[in-house]
Amino acid sequence: MRKKRLRLSLMVEPPASATGDIAFNLIIFFLVCASVQPDSGREQSLPRSDQKSAEQTENIQVQLTRNAVMLNGAIIRQNDFAIALSRSLKGKVRQEDRVVIVQSKPDTPYSHWIIVTEMIDRAGGIVTIQTEEVQEMVVPNS
Amino acid sequence: MKISRRASKADVPSMAMGDIAFNLLIFFVILAQAEDDSHLHWEPASAVEITASGAARVSVLIDSDNKYYINGQQVGETQIAGEVESLLGNAAAGDRRVFFKVHKDAQAMYFEPAIAAISEVGGDLVHVLEQKKE
Repeated sequence: MRKKRLRLSLMVEPPASATGDIAFNLIIFFLVCASVQPDSGREQSLPRSDQKSAEQTENIQVQLTRNAVMLNGAIIRQNDFAIALSRSLKGKVRQEDRVVIVQSKPDTPYSHWIIVTEMIDRAGGIVTIQTEEVQEMVVPNS
Repeated sequence: MKISRRASKADVPSMAMGDIAFNLLIFFVILAQAEDDSHLHWEPASAVEITASGAARVSVLIDSDNKYYINGQQVGETQIAGEVESLLGNAAAGDRRVFFKVHKDAQAMYFEPAIAAISEVGGDLVHVLEQKKE
């Protein structure tokens, strides 16, 4: 009689005790990934709209269009803006005198706005934005 | 004759550790995604001087399609002030930081109302920018 040889097949399972360590390392990996966010930039404190100074002063006005800058109504090159603004702010010591009103056309891109407001900050001006007001006009009946 | 008691061994089953840790992993991933805006498409504007800012509890984002998001959740323009105010709560002056992430080509008609809304509720605005390459 021929004997059948039994082959012993071994079942190899990954050790269950290691799964805890693997998952724990995954948790740490995801938490580290989530916490590393490149959030650096520029702080900007805008005067609140309800803060009105008792005295009305003549403030510097900057108008922005899509690709141009105007300082008190005069168009100037972006490279010359910082010098012209510093000249305008010269001698102005009081905080309310250093307020620079920024008016932007609706199509002004954010990158352009950031460049100009950065120049104002560096020149020592205090940026205030002025949005376009909606004016209601009553047309008299003829 | 004295029969000694057999001390039974009570171990924490190591098999359960994997399941516990895996559930924790899912919990943290979902929690991170709920307040994350990394999936939104925007390119930061560049500036010469930027400083590393601390953490902020509120993040206002305007993406490349001019849509508004607060902590990754889409909102309307009129909802910004209310949402930011409720998220800031009664936080102290130095703890009212609001990250402002705007796509570099977004226009003033979209980002100016958001700036006005944040400053209206007393948020400390931080423009998230990238360093300008000289």
